[in-house]
Amino acid sequence: MASKFGLAGGIPERKVRPIWDAIDSRQFKNALKHVSTLLAKHPNSPYALALKALVLERMGKPDEALSVALNAKELLYANESLLMDDLTLSTLQIVFQRLDHLDLATGCYEHACSKFPSNLELMMGLFNCYVREYSFVKQQQTAIKMYKQYQQVGEEKERFLLWAVCSIQLQVLCGSGEDKLLFLAEGLLKKHVASHSLHEPEALMIYISILERQAKFGDALEILSGKLGSLLQIEVDKLRMQGRLLARAGDYTAAADIFNKILESCPDDWESFLHYLGCLLEDDSIWCDEVVNDPVHPPKFVNFKVSHLTDEQFDSQISIASACVQKLQADTINNLIRCPYLATIEIERRKHLRGKGNDDNLMDGIVQYFCRFGHLACFTSDVEMFVEVLTTDKKIELLEKLMKTSVSLSAPPTKTLGLSISFFKIKHLLLGDMSMSSASDLEVFCVQMFEMYCKNLPLSKDLDPQESMHGEELLSMICNILVQLFWRTKNVGYLVEAIMVLEFGLAIQRYVSQYKILLLHLYSHCGALSVAHEWYKSLDVKNILMESILHHILPQMLVSPLWTELNHLLKDYLKFMDDHFRESADLTFLAYRHRNYSKVIEFVQFKDRLQHSSQYLVARVETPILQLKQNADNIEEEEGILQNLKCGIHFLELSKEVGSKSLTFNEDLQSRPWWTPTSEKNYLLGPFEGISYYPREILTKDRETSLKRVIEKKSLLPRMIYLSIKSASASIKEHVEVNGSVTPDITSELKLLLECYAQFLGFSLTEAIEVVMGFSNGESSCVVSDSNLIDWLNFTVFLNAWSLSSHELVQPDGNGCRPRIWNILDSMLEKYILENVKSIEPQLCSPWSVMELLMQLVTEPLAWHGLVIQSCLRSCFPSGKKKKKSGSAYQSSANLAHAITDSVMHLFHVLEVVLKWITEWNKRPEDEHLENILLLLRRDGHNDGPGKVFHILETFISSVNDVELGDRISQSLKSWSPADVARKMMTGKLKVLTEFSAICGSKLKLFKSMKQQIAQL
Amino acid sequence: MTTIRRFCCNDLLRFAAVNLDHLTETFNMSFYMTYLARWPDYFHVAEGPGNRIMGYIMGKVEGQGESWHGHVTAVTVAPEYRRQQLAKKLMNLLEDISDNIDKAFFVDLFVRASNAPAIKMYEKLGYVIYRRVLRYYSGEEDGLDMRKALSRDVEKKSIIPLKRPVTPDELEYD
Repeated sequence: MASKFGLAGGIPERKVRPIWDAIDSRQFKNALKHVSTLLAKHPNSPYALALKALVLERMGKPDEALSVALNAKELLYANESLLMDDLTLSTLQIVFQRLDHLDLATGCYEHACSKFPSNLELMMGLFNCYVREYSFVKQQQTAIKMYKQYQQVGEEKERFLLWAVCSIQLQVLCGSGEDKLLFLAEGLLKKHVASHSLHEPEALMIYISILERQAKFGDALEILSGKLGSLLQIEVDKLRMQGRLLARAGDYTAAADIFNKILESCPDDWESFLHYLGCLLEDDSIWCDEVVNDPVHPPKFVNFKVSHLTDEQFDSQISIASACVQKLQADTINNLIRCPYLATIEIERRKHLRGKGNDDNLMDGIVQYFCRFGHLACFTSDVEMFVEVLTTDKKIELLEKLMKTSVSLSAPPTKTLGLSISFFKIKHLLLGDMSMSSASDLEVFCVQMFEMYCKNLPLSKDLDPQESMHGEELLSMICNILVQLFWRTKNVGYLVEAIMVLEFGLAIQRYVSQYKILLLHLYSHCGALSVAHEWYKSLDVKNILMESILHHILPQMLVSPLWTELNHLLKDYLKFMDDHFRESADLTFLAYRHRNYSKVIEFVQFKDRLQHSSQYLVARVETPILQLKQNADNIEEEEGILQNLKCGIHFLELSKEVGSKSLTFNEDLQSRPWWTPTSEKNYLLGPFEGISYYPREILTKDRETSLKRVIEKKSLLPRMIYLSIKSASASIKEHVEVNGSVTPDITSELKLLLECYAQFLGFSLTEAIEVVMGFSNGESSCVVSDSNLIDWLNFTVFLNAWSLSSHELVQPDGNGCRPRIWNILDSMLEKYILENVKSIEPQLCSPWSVMELLMQLVTEPLAWHGLVIQSCLRSCFPSGKKKKKSGSAYQSSANLAHAITDSVMHLFHVLEVVLKWITEWNKRPEDEHLENILLLLRRDGHNDGPGKVFHILETFISSVNDVELGDRISQSLKSWSPADVARKMMTGKLKVLTEFSAICGSKLKLFKSMKQQIAQL
Repeated sequence: MTTIRRFCCNDLLRFAAVNLDHLTETFNMSFYMTYLARWPDYFHVAEGPGNRIMGYIMGKVEGQGESWHGHVTAVTVAPEYRRQQLAKKLMNLLEDISDNIDKAFFVDLFVRASNAPAIKMYEKLGYVIYRRVLRYYSGEEDGLDMRKALSRDVEKKSIIPLKRPVTPDELEYD
């Protein structure tokens, strides 16, 4: 091969290096210069051409790069074998991959391998191509060839075998391969081991997983306990594997012994204890659940199956477990090891569920755990799973015991504070919905916690500014209760007070992400979405965190007028995802090369998970819709966008894709506030229900079904908008041409899509049309609600467009009914928009959900209808020279002309009203707005309502003790002002309104110009 | 309450509570997956009751000759689980693997010069400041290269502090 003689692709290395150096330094012009010089000397060198293609691609000239790369490819195929080397091919592969032509790269390698079937280097390159294409079968075939080719016994041969085995596993797990393929993989491994053994621990792990997936636990155990087992050098990992296999094989006694051994060396290993206890009780729930549970959202509570053991056996096994735990407690010196003490409670819980438990023992276990670990921040989450089995009366009793214990314990100030916080948290947990507490009691509780926070601030005086403060959880807890009070009373002052408390906390310590998330949702609920967005940005969410954290802000932004910010969010997220999908195969190959075979499987499965992400699909659909909304006032620009979207066809395909595959939900729901456990649910929008602070188990299946429908419905929009524009245009032309006919395809396709859309509304097309027609009689009010209003109006817009070019709705008396839907649509838009305007007082403290609906009404159905009108009018003015003739087109259909004229006038008026109404908000002086917000917190002698915590807060910041608090904290407090927070809230809401006003202004301008157009006819 | 096991890809979707900490960097995807692909034994996660992610440690092993060493790229703990010596447990595990399995001479790590809490913690764990790396972080903030000698470095030559700061270009490995 050429590369063996110091030549790279037939060219001396010293001449090539400057090019690569220039590329690596991103000096592409210089690189191109070097390449040109090289090509002058080697005009037919495929490698030189490949380098040129690479440089051109990096310079942002994909078309030229592809042309040059294809030229190189042709030369490779035609020229002598001396130049067919891996370096040339790998360079071409880079180019083709970056140009999204993996197939061409693969073709090159396939051609090379057919010419040189014994060249392992080329075969590895081909294998890499198949990895990139996720062609698992071809990966297997290529790996087997390499395995057979490689004669020298050792790690390299083993590697090729494992590549083949992994490829088989991938066929079963991520492809359409049947389970019996695992038997083939097992055979390959067994044969290899018999003659060559294994050298890599990862190879052994794969071998065992192959056996385990076939339920051949005995064979796996035999291998693990044999000489191959010594490959696993991390002893605890080996023991875990062994214990799991024994348990799955049904040898619970032996498995329990193994897990006991783990506990002896790792006494704080909670999972091992659960396994140990499960084995003693012969309960295989954990291993069964591993298959069923979503690995990203594992259950919070330990599942449990009623044991089939006799009472005598059960008691005996429980005794063994208790003895083990007592021994662990006795042997453990470290005061921070929690597992043995939590284990005591778990044992009592199992006894309880068996019907043999004693509540007092369970509660005593919790009390003892509280004594030892109650000061830790994680106490409540540790014991949360255990209090579920208690009755309400027992919960109250437990609370009383904890209270007495808390008072009696003597501890340093920081621990005392920790104990108090844990007690407060467990109190919330035990008392559930808090409905038994009066509003007044809750307010007193909030004051108590706030005073405790302030009193303990000195404990954090000497902490580094970047460290967590002692007691910072108290403010989160106060916020949660204040929101609860708002939910009960609908007094907005409680929300404002909650905001003040958290802003106060962030003034002292600006890195508390929990505060920021709570504030994000509070500001969002109050309508100050721009402030919510600022807090989101302060979290510095990026890269993979976007997949799990973006849900806090994205749903609100999607229905807001903050289009610029939304565009950035969507763009950043999609770029991250698409970048990963582009490079994930290379990372998989990296794992192959480094012999970390378990990661190969893991990487492919993870990519699948992300590709089916519900959030990813939402973003893919919403991004073009955002573009359409942003440009709806200019039909030429809109059509340009639609052309880029393949006239919406691509999204119809996406709609089908969504329907056929399952979605994954990758959000971190644990970080959401109690009042909005998922993006789709906000308890504050409804009546008080006395719900628990902690979210119920989220039904993923229901979410998936619901979200699929939303995505599928949204996916129809681009195509329906496109067809509506075409239909409207065609309807005008129909009147111009004496014997003209409307393009049947447009009309029939639009009808089909209307039928699909109607189904999402829960009706057949005919029924849906009846609902729309019935609107003039007031019949639709019982069908249309706020939750589906936008969908109904969108449907009506598209229905109207279809009716313009369709003859199906023509009544026997002629064209009389054609504009009828148009009139209905105008009436609906006018009614709902103005209705919403009237229902919202121009006060900064008004409920905001209605505002969101208003904004959606203007930016979606009104926008799409505006496009239809633009399309009609544009057809009347094909060019200035034909003005006279076009005028006759408009006049030839009196009914349609009348409808258009009325429509423009009506909607112009509606927009005028909206803009005038928005102006009312800005007319009020800033001071008045500020005063109105702060007034919500002034108690003025009232005995109820918000303001009690705020009063303490104000008192505290007005008497800051510099010496006691230290410079850092006291200076932070002195620079903080409640008025600044109120101003922030006000400014945030006004910014949203300003953006909405700009959108309305743009549309008003459009309708004004259309009025002028009509006047010229 | 700490089950310490190898980090897996799905943990990337579960570690938000840890990574929202302002001192914890969320790297790009290829960074995490490269570590998983090459050094899975140096990437461990601590999991608590309720399957909660408590913290994780991410590292690698590299170098030549007497520079063969374990490296801690990141170690971080969720706020709820701090002040419980969890970082110590994670560090001990990486040190054990470096020492007993890979026979490294030392373990090192880089830390922001301004991150006083972290520096203090590492010193408690036996690390010393080996050298200062000028403008290591984004070309702005200095980094400190801290090291801890392992059993193979009997004379502890690897942790003798350098007398002058170095620049990132002078690092022979990263």
